[in-house]
Amino acid sequence: MARIDVVMPQMGESITEGTIVKWHKKVGDRVRLDETLLEISTDKVDSEIPSPAEGVLSEILVGEQKTVPVQTVIATIETDGKGTAPSPPPADAPPVASVAAATARGASPASPAAAAPSSGRFYSPLVLNVAREEGIGMDELERIPGTGEGGRVSKKDMMAYLAAKRSGAVLPARPAAVPAAPPAGITMKPADAPELRAKYPAPEHEILQMSNVLQKMAHHLVQSVHTSPHASAVHEVDMTPIVRHRDAHAAEFDRSQGFKLTFTPYIVEAVVKAIKKYPLINSSVEGDKIIKKNFINIGLAVASDSGLLVPVIKHAEGMNFLGIARAVNDLVTRTRSKRLLPDDVQGGTFTISNYGVFGTLIGTPIINQPQVAILGTGAIRKLATVIDEGLAIRSMAYFTLSFDHRIVDGALGGMFLDEIVRTLQRFDTGLRF
Amino acid sequence: MAVMSYIEAIARGMWEEMERDPSVFLIGEDIGAYGGAFKATRGFFEHFGGERVIDSPLSEAAIIGASAGAALVGMRPIAEMQFADFVTCGFNQIVTNAAKMHYRWHLPVPMVVRLPSGGYIHGGPYHSASNEAWFFHVPGLKIVAPSTPSDAKGLMKAAVRDDNPVLYFEFKYLYRRIKGDVPDGDVLIPIGKGEVKREGSDITVITYGSAVHFALEAAGILAKEDGIETRVVDLRTLLPLDTELIIDSVRATGRVLIVHEAALTGGIGGEIGALIAEHAFGSLDAPIRRIAALDTPVPFAPTLEEEVLPGTGKIVKALRDLSRF
Amino acid sequence: MPPSQTPAKTKRSVLSNAERLELYYYMRLARECDNAVLRLYRQGKVAGGAYTGAGNEATAVGSAYALGEQDYLFPMHRDLGAHLVRGQSLRNIFLQQLGRGESLTRGRDGTGHYADPSLRIYGNVSHLASMIPVAAGVALASKMRKENSVVMNYIGDGGSNVGDFHEGLNMAAVMNLPFVLIIENNQFAYSTPNSRQFAAQKLSDRGAGYGIPGVTIDGTNVLLVYETCRKAVDRARNGGGPTLVETVTMRMQGHSAADDASYVPPAMIEEWKKKDPIERWERTLTADRVLNEQISGQIGEKIHAAIEDAVAFALASPYPPAGEAAEGVYAP
Repeated sequence: MARIDVVMPQMGESITEGTIVKWHKKVGDRVRLDETLLEISTDKVDSEIPSPAEGVLSEILVGEQKTVPVQTVIATIETDGKGTAPSPPPADAPPVASVAAATARGASPASPAAAAPSSGRFYSPLVLNVAREEGIGMDELERIPGTGEGGRVSKKDMMAYLAAKRSGAVLPARPAAVPAAPPAGITMKPADAPELRAKYPAPEHEILQMSNVLQKMAHHLVQSVHTSPHASAVHEVDMTPIVRHRDAHAAEFDRSQGFKLTFTPYIVEAVVKAIKKYPLINSSVEGDKIIKKNFINIGLAVASDSGLLVPVIKHAEGMNFLGIARAVNDLVTRTRSKRLLPDDVQGGTFTISNYGVFGTLIGTPIINQPQVAILGTGAIRKLATVIDEGLAIRSMAYFTLSFDHRIVDGALGGMFLDEIVRTLQRFDTGLRF
Repeated sequence: MAVMSYIEAIARGMWEEMERDPSVFLIGEDIGAYGGAFKATRGFFEHFGGERVIDSPLSEAAIIGASAGAALVGMRPIAEMQFADFVTCGFNQIVTNAAKMHYRWHLPVPMVVRLPSGGYIHGGPYHSASNEAWFFHVPGLKIVAPSTPSDAKGLMKAAVRDDNPVLYFEFKYLYRRIKGDVPDGDVLIPIGKGEVKREGSDITVITYGSAVHFALEAAGILAKEDGIETRVVDLRTLLPLDTELIIDSVRATGRVLIVHEAALTGGIGGEIGALIAEHAFGSLDAPIRRIAALDTPVPFAPTLEEEVLPGTGKIVKALRDLSRF
Repeated sequence: MPPSQTPAKTKRSVLSNAERLELYYYMRLARECDNAVLRLYRQGKVAGGAYTGAGNEATAVGSAYALGEQDYLFPMHRDLGAHLVRGQSLRNIFLQQLGRGESLTRGRDGTGHYADPSLRIYGNVSHLASMIPVAAGVALASKMRKENSVVMNYIGDGGSNVGDFHEGLNMAAVMNLPFVLIIENNQFAYSTPNSRQFAAQKLSDRGAGYGIPGVTIDGTNVLLVYETCRKAVDRARNGGGPTLVETVTMRMQGHSAADDASYVPPAMIEEWKKKDPIERWERTLTADRVLNEQISGQIGEKIHAAIEDAVAFALASPYPPAGEAAEGVYAP
């Protein structure tokens, strides 16, 4: 005896269910193979269903007028002999063989060296893999200098770091984060100075050691004031066209050039132009001689946590706006990542100091010897201003030119500064990169 | 070894196969006495006769369908589409019949369909198509796309001898513009194997067809002006892809730019990118990038065509961006 | 008299009584096989769709009977009779219908979509008329190799409007290929009657459009079908090029088992029932004393036994293993 299932057939490719219209046999009846067993109705067609086996209808599992999904068992037939065996299940299938194409030889997925980077710096899978293989934890990874976009560590940087590490070279420590704003103050270590302790006892007094850089800076500035009789001129500049142009093109610039567009290139370009008109500003003094330079190397005063550095854009006289922007970005990035070379901080002929980032409106910068002038740029703010007899909200800033009164007088200084201001205020906002 | 143009190399491949195997024959429009719209079959009719160089009526479905039928019973036809653009009229025969026959019937269909493909020739929307991606999605087909004369001859010979339907994409832009050394005799390029056309350790370009030449030009510029060394990988076969070469080439540099003349969306570059992300994620030092045509039909006016199709300039810029990441 | 077991050989134009009885046997076998497939479908054992050739038996059998061993058959989905005339085994037919691993397509396709080079049968695909250019290609190869083979292909009244029909037939005509195309006009393409399918008066008129002879005949007269197709095959074999033969019949059941064909006027079915090809030939053979009740009964038993054996065999045969699914996409 064998039991055969009678199933609801699929009468059409899109049919998912069927309704029992009428059973032609009742439980206990004998049925012959292919004899009509029941009638069904579907969305497409009504049909008589022949019996799949010969035997006795032993069970009716679904009654008339009921609707069931296709393949539902609706009745069973007990056959006399072996009956028609149901189709055997497919032979044990071996696991599905992977189809041609890719050999899965990919490197194991990158796992982060330790925790997520606190700096928010992005590390590519390759860099993370190498770090893991070399046993470099996240703390150490965070300190590796990056020359990629936004200070990112590239494969090259990683390899360079590893090579230097292996060779035992001392590498400059990198700050944990690339600060958006300049670092607050210069950190100093406590000093060991027993001879001063008497005059300045603890705990009311803390004695700190001036770093070499700090001592150098102090010396340089004192020398500068002693050498050059400083005078200053202050002009107001309407930065609105520059601000508008920068806003309009910042995103596209970032996309196409790969770094952020700041105000600095605009200012540098205007300064270069003004120097070409008033070349005496671009000189130095030797005794009773004036050394006029026929090249323009613009120094940019950059605050870093180890002191004031002034990296120099060499030969700015031959650069267009894009070239200046690239040069500025390159220097700033390398300054922050401590990758400046000695040559980068020498040979300047004019310096720009942007203390506006600290919020300072008007400053009185000190000349960077042996130059004869320095431009200080103050913070840009929106002010109500008079323009052509009317009132307007404009983005205004104060620029200060401190100059060496041995060779630059108020007239020259004023005209030079005026030239810068005019250039900026007449900026062609239609300029595309 | 002889120097010949890209189109001459294709012809040479077909000629040698026809001499070697009497079951090889040509069928297409205007390929007989006329020598073909691009003169690819010039001289064939006179030498092999009209029985083996068959001028078909204007009917891509009949050309391709009859090729499948003849291949089923043991012939080895090479069918020519006058322009790849016209394969749409025979698309059904390729995907319904040719591609599915072996899987269903376990019978080989040893046919080749030649497809003069691509733009940069002021052909407009119906004479400039790069439609290989449509067929990339059809199991049962093989697709080759040579970029040099020696690859063209070697792949033609391999295609004719392959027992599967092979779509042979040839690039009109390269026909008479590219000349090169082509080995004499029976030198076959294996289907499914790409080639590194230029070594480099900084950045990888994966590409095929006319774009190979633009990529090589861009690599030269980058080496000279930026000191960046680019590895240029010529896929040569699109289906099946040389996945091993692709992965190795990504591992070699960590930065990859995929370049194809065909439009960006749904182009083969997407599949290559997915394969790289799947199998070489840990080797990536930068995101996977693509340069391809804009998602438009290929326009007629030269200013528009230049804007739509990728060229050396766009590749240079993309490589620079990628190397800066 | 037992029916012949071997594939049809090239016959004399005038058939012997044994041959006429064979025609009868094959038509009955075709109908009973179709009915068995229908039953299996309604029992949920055949999946997808079930297509019968009820009413088309004379066309399928008479046409294929005109072919020689070296000829090629490209049948359609209502030409089971043609498969059988060529010598296809019932076991193979049911393995195919049931999608078993040992079928001629190894379970990769169903119904009549198989190829059997040993019998020179190349089955249809679902895209009707798609095989016409392929069939023309086989005819081209045959001509190139001077094989002396003829290709016989079929299409329906609906399928004859597809582009591939025209492109394939035109190529066969202009290249003078050994090709016979039979349009089985059974009045309906699914639910679409001829009046909505084409404006031509007779589908055989399309032959003139391609410069080849076209003829329309009564598709329920198996002898007429045989004789007409025989002439066409001989013409093709002798280098006379293609012929277009339109056989007029009626689709006596729905498009498939899932179609109740309620759009067909019942009167039409009644009219065509009178022309049932098997009953007609039965009457003719009985009148000629080639057939009687005893012989008919024996034939019926043989058919029943053969089908029972084939169905049981196929049902007991395993499905193809899942692990094989990705194999065989390419020839090695």
